Amino acid sequence: MPPHICEVCKVSRAQILRPRNHARVCAPCFISLFESEVAETISSTTLFQPGERVAIGASGGKDSTVLASVLKTLNDRHGWNLDLVLLSVDEGITGYRDHSLEAVKRNSADLGLPLKIVSYEDLYGWSMDQVVAQIGKKGNCTYCGVFRRQALDRGAAMLNVGHVVTGHNADDVAETVLMNLLRGDLPRLSRATSIITSTPSAARASVARDEKAEVTFTNVKRSKPLMYAYEKEIVMYAHHKKLDYFSTECLYSPEAFRGSARTLIKNLERIRPESILDVVRSGVDMAKLVPTGDGKSQGACTKTKAPEVAAADDEEADGGCGTSNSKADGNSMAAMEKKLQQDAQAEADGNETEVKLPSQSVNGQRHDRDHTHEAYSSLSPSAKFDGQDHDRHTTQPTTTVPIRTKQEKKSGRKTNRDAPAPKQRLGQCERCGYLSSQAVCKACVLLEGLNKARPRTGVEVGDGG
Amino acid sequence: MPGRRGAAPTDFSLCRRCQSNDPTITVRTEPLCDACFCKYVATKVVKRMETFRVRHSEPGYERTLLLPLSFGAGSTTLLHLLSEHLKGQVEKTRRTGFKLHLLHIADGSRSTASPTVEALLEKVKQRYPEHSYSISHLSDALALEDVRTLLGNDSKDDESHSLEGSDSDKFERLIASVGSATSRADVFQLLKLKLIVHFAKSKDCEAILWGDSTTKLAERTLAETAKGRGFALPWTVADGESPHGMQLYYPMRELLSKEIASFASIVDPPLDELILRNEARVAVSTRNTTIDDLMKQYFESVERDYPSIVANVVRTTGKLQAASLSEIEKQCELCEMPLDGQAPERSRLCYGCIRALPQAAG
Repeated sequence: MPPHICEVCKVSRAQILRPRNHARVCAPCFISLFESEVAETISSTTLFQPGERVAIGASGGKDSTVLASVLKTLNDRHGWNLDLVLLSVDEGITGYRDHSLEAVKRNSADLGLPLKIVSYEDLYGWSMDQVVAQIGKKGNCTYCGVFRRQALDRGAAMLNVGHVVTGHNADDVAETVLMNLLRGDLPRLSRATSIITSTPSAARASVARDEKAEVTFTNVKRSKPLMYAYEKEIVMYAHHKKLDYFSTECLYSPEAFRGSARTLIKNLERIRPESILDVVRSGVDMAKLVPTGDGKSQGACTKTKAPEVAAADDEEADGGCGTSNSKADGNSMAAMEKKLQQDAQAEADGNETEVKLPSQSVNGQRHDRDHTHEAYSSLSPSAKFDGQDHDRHTTQPTTTVPIRTKQEKKSGRKTNRDAPAPKQRLGQCERCGYLSSQAVCKACVLLEGLNKARPRTGVEVGDGG
Repeated sequence: MPGRRGAAPTDFSLCRRCQSNDPTITVRTEPLCDACFCKYVATKVVKRMETFRVRHSEPGYERTLLLPLSFGAGSTTLLHLLSEHLKGQVEKTRRTGFKLHLLHIADGSRSTASPTVEALLEKVKQRYPEHSYSISHLSDALALEDVRTLLGNDSKDDESHSLEGSDSDKFERLIASVGSATSRADVFQLLKLKLIVHFAKSKDCEAILWGDSTTKLAERTLAETAKGRGFALPWTVADGESPHGMQLYYPMRELLSKEIASFASIVDPPLDELILRNEARVAVSTRNTTIDDLMKQYFESVERDYPSIVANVVRTTGKLQAASLSEIEKQCELCEMPLDGQAPERSRLCYGCIRALPQAAG
């Protein structure tokens, strides 16, 4: 069979078959397409302000390594004038994180970007190795994830950076869309497909942007510039650019819902590679149909605070990693099945006693809400904050990246006809000041548990603001 | 029994509901006997037929509802249940809230009609002679005006063929031109739907009753998501008005596929001989697997271990809020879903349909 010729330059031999459109291209053309697609995502969503300080959540894995390399390249090429820094979290997992941090350090040197490492040990007084020694191998993902979310925000605040970009890629987003459909969690589905999420204070800060507002760890924006990029292409980009990354993944298998969704996505990709981006597109479109008052408190009850807080706060549970589901048996699907059955039974018996909101729903809705809370407080956070990837682009050659404006979100909320009464109020943790719907945030609760068993250490949370 | 507070202590070795027979099947968490199980299934369906009760029908005018019969377990069981339901209405009130018209769409064209299907239809007619029956062929969809306009473009190229070719030839050509197994299945589905809706309108039917189970609706939710039609999800599982200009109802929406299969065997005489089994066509190679097949296999396993999660997917999808029908300005010419903002500019098709039929996108 004669070799295919690159469809772009028509000169070189094609080496890459692109999953999004079956185009056959050579490596140099691929690199430039990939970069211009990410640039298109960024510019069509106005992701960055000129001169903005941006921290790249860097784990040393392929996604964040590619993200750092692409952003650096684009920043230089297009004169965006961004002030880029690498931000890594050291969970303190010997044999895993110490090696990947070496990769981050090399990247930092190669790209000439400053690197900040924040460690769990410094922030919380506990490394993950110590946590595991204390509580065992099961359920420690909860700790890891809850701690990571705050660690990134605290790290960003220390650097006075108000915007953290992560490497979530199209496969991750598609997986999260399917997972949240299975789990019945529409609010989180809608957040997962939003290219940028911000905390309330960040939203406020952006209104008065020109002020030299101090960045605190409660007003850091998150975005995912690679959310339209295929994982496969990220790997290819890293390969052809000869990027130095660390490819070991966390040792723990994903929890049941995510694992199930991941398998499904991989099978879909085999049948029709375009379907990954089609799922992402579907998710973005569905997000516009999500009744915002329902399911989660982010709607009606947070008027005084900025509305997206819940979203951002909650994101920790979106992550990829853990086996840890709150109920600790490691099977979130089984736990949810049980809960749904109990609720159905209670309804059938007509003796449901739990006092719930009188919403219009069949009981499923109440379940969702409960489940959400549970997940909210204790699901494992994403192990992959660092690891997500990129690759933007939609299914069509002309990319339009849908993004919901704040106005849209707000008006959507207002029109919601039956917003439930406030359930959670986004406030700040009374101990550490982090965003939380509870009096004491999850991290402080977890820390309290840990510290009880180690009385010599007091509750110790880094003071980020 | 719903609503009953146990006076006597429950005997866990007996059917949870009647407490007199041995249980034969476990539904969700309850062990039930055959009789109570059948009652459970019938109740779930009849409850969804509220709109069409006798008291809601005008005397002297009988509504006709179309039931598309694929000879699958779902539609056949629905036919059975509604037949029983109508008998009950007659006994109680001497009239019925509606009458049924059944329509089978045979794959392919008239010339390729399968003898199995004809034989099955005869058996069904014998068992339920009180309804009217029709059969139509998928290739008839090509005669529909909007399908002609939609597919008109590409036949310009080879006019000699399109002028002479019969509908079934054209149909074969159209299907052959569709790229992948998934797209072919998608186009089949959409043409079938168009044909059924067209038929329902031509017979002045008030609504179409589908035999889809919860499991089937969950499969469809994820399949449509994967095909890029997430924007249309509220319409794919909703009861009532639809963008097709016809009311659609899913009376079996609270039953799992496995429950329907059990019911079809338990009912006396069993429905099994009226049901066309096509398990055989689980494709081995990825090449011929469709997204629909994949979701079917996936939910078969989810249903086994986590039936409530299946039901929850459908409930969740039902919570998505669609724009009201009156706000729809433009619809996809193939799937008829609202196009607003969901398609490239000036496109006649939505993203999902462009994926399936890129040549018609123009």
